[in-house]
Amino acid sequence: MVDFAGFSMPVQYDSIIKEHEAVRSKAGVFDVSHMGEFLLEGKDVIDFLQYVMINDLNLLELSKGQYSCMCYDNGTVVDDLVYYEESPNRFRMIVNAGNVEKDFKWLTENIKNRDVKITNLSFERSRLAFQGPKSDEYLQSLVDVDLNSVNRFYFVYGNLNKAPIFIARTGYTGERGFELSFNNAYAEKIWNSLIKTGASPAGLGARDSLRLEATYSLYGHEINDSITPVEAGLFWLVKLKEGTDYIGKNILIKQKTHGTKRIIVGLNLLERGIIRENFKIYKENVEIGYVTSGGYSPTLKKTIGLGLIKKQYKEVGTKLEIQVRNRKLKGIVVSTPFFRNV
Amino acid sequence: MNYEFPDNLKFTKTHEWVRIEDNIAIVGITDFAQHQLGDIVYIELPEKGANLERQSSAGEIESVKAVGEVLMPLSGKIIDINSILTDNPELVNSSPYDSGWIFKIEFTNKLEIDDLILVKDYKRIAEAEN
Repeated sequence: MVDFAGFSMPVQYDSIIKEHEAVRSKAGVFDVSHMGEFLLEGKDVIDFLQYVMINDLNLLELSKGQYSCMCYDNGTVVDDLVYYEESPNRFRMIVNAGNVEKDFKWLTENIKNRDVKITNLSFERSRLAFQGPKSDEYLQSLVDVDLNSVNRFYFVYGNLNKAPIFIARTGYTGERGFELSFNNAYAEKIWNSLIKTGASPAGLGARDSLRLEATYSLYGHEINDSITPVEAGLFWLVKLKEGTDYIGKNILIKQKTHGTKRIIVGLNLLERGIIRENFKIYKENVEIGYVTSGGYSPTLKKTIGLGLIKKQYKEVGTKLEIQVRNRKLKGIVVSTPFFRNV
Repeated sequence: MNYEFPDNLKFTKTHEWVRIEDNIAIVGITDFAQHQLGDIVYIELPEKGANLERQSSAGEIESVKAVGEVLMPLSGKIIDINSILTDNPELVNSSPYDSGWIFKIEFTNKLEIDDLILVKDYKRIAEAEN
């Protein structure tokens, strides 16, 4: 167990590799209750979200979720998150564990004169991620709604053994799967029911190795308050939203149009070793960047990583060197994602 | 605590085990150590022929989540390394005392053997760290 954002969280229940493989071959359950959950209500919610989010809510619809970043004026990231439209006046938002207080404050401060009320439900609701090729079959056996009718990024309300539950077809693993939210009172029962289906408990270690293979950004690594979404490769999140101003728009549109000085790339090693976060990256002995995330890929059976480097070296196939503790190892830029099934 | 503590071995405070056979010491890391590390994905073995002092670094073991150093339990020359671990580092997890042995030393100072720890004392060290 480790301290993660003030919560006691399991890095692994059994073996990180076994948990990772369970998610890729059948299903795994992740306790993500440490993440934040907000309810936004009011007739100006959409207007408000259009102002604080870089993505475009005109692309969203009822019963659907949207992934976005909220950015500062300088385009760097406050947090990446998903919000779900329950009605035009009611949105549910899931945010990163380490940013709950910061995000709540940021959102509240930016409401200004709009008719928007934000409620922090993080401590009264629990959240689980249920991911893997068998997650449909397993979850369907427990719930009273037809999961077949829920397409990717959509959500539905149902009951799991009589417990009311929010079910979204979203995920952070690159597998088919769901993210669930429900009142704390039902947490233990729901966890036990999910485990009984044959799914494996999965901890933070597997959560990280899965998202790294699928190449999803992790706040604090590929995005943070000194990296913009465009630098992180999330340029597709930056929307034009003509006629609408949003925080960070100027800089982000400029970056999307003209490019950035640095960019996140995928990395492999050409020698034996493991790529780790913060290792420095060199091109012919000149420092060109650093590793934002790294580790071992159980699916590819080799080390993989992401690095923020000077953009002139971003071409796939570019040879570079990565400082692994006391050795400079030969590495190479590779394309991403490393592995995904959805 | 369900770890294996073979009583025919000697140990170090830093979780290496040692099996003495005449003037050769066979070295690995303990069941407790492999469990703490988790899935081992990479091992840096010492160089064959290297002369290393007791407690100096003989290699590195890297798991999915951590890196650990393997220290020399005795001073001497590395006369053999378990090269199968290069492609199968997970053997250290599955068989830490047997096929997961890491290297062999031709030790130079018999007196250093007295500084190695007996199984019952190592058990206590592992329990305390648990």
